[in-house]
Amino acid sequence: MIANRPIGKSLNKGPWPSPVSITIGGFIRVHYRVAKESFFYVSSHLGTSLLVWLLIGIALGLPAGLYLLERNLGAMSEDWQGKPGISLYFELSASDEAIEAVAQRLRQDVRVRAVSLVSSARALEEFKAYSGLADALAVIEYNPLPNSMRAVLADGLEPLQLELLSVSLTDLPGVQEVVVEKTWLERVTAITELISRLGFMLAVLFGVAAILVTSTSVRLAIESRLDELKVLKLVGATSAYMRRPFLYFGLSYGMGGGVIGAMLVSINISLVEEPLAEFLGSYGGSLNIIGLDYLFVAGMLGIGGFLGIVGALMASRQRLADLQVD
Amino acid sequence: MSEIELRNVTRRFDSGIEALGNVSVSFASGSMTFLTGHSGAGKSTLLKILLRLDVPTRGQVLVGGVDISRLAEKYIPLFRQNIGVVFQDHHLLDGRTVFENVALPLRLVGMSERDIERRVRAALSRVSLLAKERQFPPVLSTGEQQRVGIARAVVNRPKILLADEPTGNLDPELSKDIMDLFEQFKQVGTTVIIASHDRELINTMGIPIVELEQGHLLGAGI
Ligand SMILES: Nc1ncnc2c1ncn2[C@@H]1O[C@H](COP(=O)(O)OP(=O)(O)O)[C@@H](O)[C@H]1O
Ligand SMILES: [Mg+2]
Repeated sequence: MIANRPIGKSLNKGPWPSPVSITIGGFIRVHYRVAKESFFYVSSHLGTSLLVWLLIGIALGLPAGLYLLERNLGAMSEDWQGKPGISLYFELSASDEAIEAVAQRLRQDVRVRAVSLVSSARALEEFKAYSGLADALAVIEYNPLPNSMRAVLADGLEPLQLELLSVSLTDLPGVQEVVVEKTWLERVTAITELISRLGFMLAVLFGVAAILVTSTSVRLAIESRLDELKVLKLVGATSAYMRRPFLYFGLSYGMGGGVIGAMLVSINISLVEEPLAEFLGSYGGSLNIIGLDYLFVAGMLGIGGFLGIVGALMASRQRLADLQVD
Repeated sequence: MSEIELRNVTRRFDSGIEALGNVSVSFASGSMTFLTGHSGAGKSTLLKILLRLDVPTRGQVLVGGVDISRLAEKYIPLFRQNIGVVFQDHHLLDGRTVFENVALPLRLVGMSERDIERRVRAALSRVSLLAKERQFPPVLSTGEQQRVGIARAVVNRPKILLADEPTGNLDPELSKDIMDLFEQFKQVGTTVIIASHDRELINTMGIPIVELEQGHLLGAGI
């Protein structure tokens, strides 16, 4: 008969045995079966699944593309910093002596590695050859181009040092203009910074969007299986067990989205590759996209899968908690 | 392990309705009992409390000496795995075969496929439905559906079997068959509680009765 003892907190757990002892084999079996079922669910709702993948792919692809752009611009500006230079343009009236004096002055400077003179005559030759304006130039009777000089500077010069050097050169006799070839470097740095912040913002926004997309799809999946979930609850399924298939959905939605995202990024890169190479080529850069590798794809899969699971957890936690059985 | 005792159990809903009022009753281990009373008397509420789908507003519900109304959330699934439950509308999944429906409680504990087959077939042959294991519930008769529900309830070999109006949709002859099935489970030591308002059926069975009226215990007898 029933012991007539008071019920204390220590009896808060049951003496009930599990009908079978849970083994590692059992654990694997449960997961394997659930994974298989999720796969069938996802593939039997292929239309919806594709849509979800595409949505998540776009959400992930945009910030990922910006990330790649940022990395490549960053790498390019690092490349650049290895060989900064200065161009000097002389007054048309500058004498050969004055030019030679400036060259001398530059060669002695420790910050300067090499100096090369481009005579106005050679500049004209080159301009004629490249511009296709030879005929037009023939009309002008004098050479409008100045003598110029290019100095390659030592590695690792700070922008400030570059600035000081350029100021000291401007004051030399015969010098018309000093152009520090960092202007576009600065622009690239500024653009990189902009893209980096934009990318971060978009990553947060679209990450949230990806979570919402999965959680909505998972919620739909839950609604379509309520009968089953109720029965499962009745026969003693744990909430972890009931949640599991939906976590697999979230995972497959997220990872599928990651694959689509990576595909979208590489398609877009191949689309912009040519114009981009042209653009960069005009600045002497070469197009060698870095970061679009296995690690990138793995990262997309990982992030997609993670966001998918977060979305699925959000959807299933609440819905399964207030599941009413009658 | 399978004795059940309710001590001063009251269940009052937010609406103010008192479905159970100060009910104290016990069910011995291995006994079979009819829980009877008119519609709305509180039978289903009592069974839900025993299955820990609901908790009493006041009082204790001892199963095997443990107050399940105070059971920690994480032990509830394990508790339910040890209880078989049969409903009037049997709660079968139409999209799964008879076999899969019965296998459900075993799947969730990760039992091996071989053991599942063995147990499911044993349960199905107890309810004489082995031949229909590949069929889907909608093509079965109401009586057969109810028997599938019973097979699922006992496939875990529970020590306690709860049934809420298990014969509600069945004609008297089929009802008697179902009752004989429950009787068999009682024979092997299962504590069986059957909620039913079908007095005619109850009177033919000659088993103990616990009667409720508007949430209060009327009395017990044969
Ligand atoms: N979830 C609920 N909320 C409010 N009232 C309920 C709820 N469930 C049952 N009741 C009420 O409790 C009383 C007992 O119901 P129930 O236990 O289903 O009786 P029985 O199964 O004996 O017909 C009824 O008056 C019913 O309306
Ligand atoms: Mg009822």
